[in-house]
Amino acid sequence: MGYFKNEQEVYDTIGKLFEDLREDDELFGKFQKANTVVQYRFRDPESTITVKMLDGEPGQVDLGPSQLDPEVTMTMDADTAHRFWLGKVNVTVALARGQMKAKGPVAKILKLVPLVKPVFPRYKAQLEGQGRTDLIEVA
Amino acid sequence: MTFKDFWQFVAPTRVVAGRGLLEGAGFEFAKEGATRVLVVTDEVVRGTGLVDRVCDGVRDGGLEVAGVYDGVPPDSDAPVVKACAEAGRSEGADSFLAVGGGSVMDTAKAANVVFTHGGEPREWEGFFGLPRAGDGMGRPEELAPLAAIPTTAGTGSEVSFAAVIKDREAHLKFTVADFPMYPRLAILDPDATATLPAPIAAATGMDAMTHAIEGYVSTEWNPHAGAYSLMALRLIRDNLERAVSDTSDEDARGNMLVAANLAIMPTSSGAIGIAHSLSHPCGAHYDVPHGVANAIHLPWAIEWNAAGGEEIADRYRDVNEVLGLEVGGPGEEVGRVLADHVRDTVGRLGLPTRLSEVGVPESGIPQLAEDAEGDGCTLVNPRETTAEDFREIYARAL
Repeated sequence: MGYFKNEQEVYDTIGKLFEDLREDDELFGKFQKANTVVQYRFRDPESTITVKMLDGEPGQVDLGPSQLDPEVTMTMDADTAHRFWLGKVNVTVALARGQMKAKGPVAKILKLVPLVKPVFPRYKAQLEGQGRTDLIEVA
Repeated sequence: MTFKDFWQFVAPTRVVAGRGLLEGAGFEFAKEGATRVLVVTDEVVRGTGLVDRVCDGVRDGGLEVAGVYDGVPPDSDAPVVKACAEAGRSEGADSFLAVGGGSVMDTAKAANVVFTHGGEPREWEGFFGLPRAGDGMGRPEELAPLAAIPTTAGTGSEVSFAAVIKDREAHLKFTVADFPMYPRLAILDPDATATLPAPIAAATGMDAMTHAIEGYVSTEWNPHAGAYSLMALRLIRDNLERAVSDTSDEDARGNMLVAANLAIMPTSSGAIGIAHSLSHPCGAHYDVPHGVANAIHLPWAIEWNAAGGEEIADRYRDVNEVLGLEVGGPGEEVGRVLADHVRDTVGRLGLPTRLSEVGVPESGIPQLAEDAEGDGCTLVNPRETTAEDFREIYARAL
């Protein structure tokens, strides 16, 4: 049994994190240097988050079905994504072990990895604010 | 020594090394399931007569030569990969034999993916994305048998799981990488590098040295990979300059083939570093040959990294010990000694030591630095390196 009971829980937590990041002009501006559309395809529970971060265009975060055409797709368990945003997953190890599968110009996403460190405490604080400390303790 | 939380080391390619192996290519490849072989090469290698010898060796082992595809350019691209795969189909081949340098071997590896699974080369871009059993989480499906005979001693592509291919329209290189792409067989015979010009032997040899050093100090270092790195460095120490100064030295050429083969192995664990991050954009924007770019950047990367803390410096101390250099003092000193040694070696090999010598302008540094920061190799470098740091390193190397 994974950390999340259903896809809505994924959207309420990881999805909300992406939506909040989109509103952070400074940080999202850095993400937009990747100039790509990435789709995260989660298993257990099945859920999808698509993020448009194209240089010079407004950001967009779609939770669930999306009309966006992703350039990069990242496939992983929702638990892996959750642990990543808590700063508990080494991306290179996760790729090597097949816990994360990357399709497309992966370098565009790897470029963002050093930038997301400030997001880890933010995700933790968000979960605390949402009363979901259970998700912090279990990870 | 720390026992790390996780590492993975993969080395599935059967390597045969020695003399007179070209004539036995078919005998060895038959053991990997090949019966009708498409030989993949380039016009230059074919012009040396090497391919004819290999084809004779394939037939002598009871295999058929379905055809020879010799259309691989120095920086292979997606249409070439597709044409190579189509040649395999139209000639009724069931296997691929790459005879050439990195571009030829990477073409054959990527073509094998398209040959087996169909589609366009860029559709397979990414890591570990080939079809698998178990809803994508199980064993990957096998590709057609592939063997490689390297004609340069540097890239190590004959035992790696990745193919790097150029998309000329998009002005970028893309990577296709997964376990089935490891060649089943690598044949290391110094006869295959007998006609290699000295400048290319020098540049490719420095590529191998860069793999060995970066593989040893990367955050993804591990004992398995380290064993390969240090042995590779011993062979490079004793054979690189010999192989370049006297291209008729068969022992030195053979040992450099083995050195390059060993040096690439840490990358199977993801172990590499910022000399590569610095070099990749120089190749993409200014066509600086990869080995030359690494030769220029390696000493600067060493100086930067070795000053990043005692744990990193200790890794470099091991490298210095193998190379017979001073290992004491602070990290900065350990790095300076090794960097000076590398610079001296590069100079003696007759390679450029400055970016300005290979057409990189100062005005290009901001873009190069941005690209280097985003290079995948930066993630596994032992010292965190920002775009500002990259700008500074490029400026020093200019």
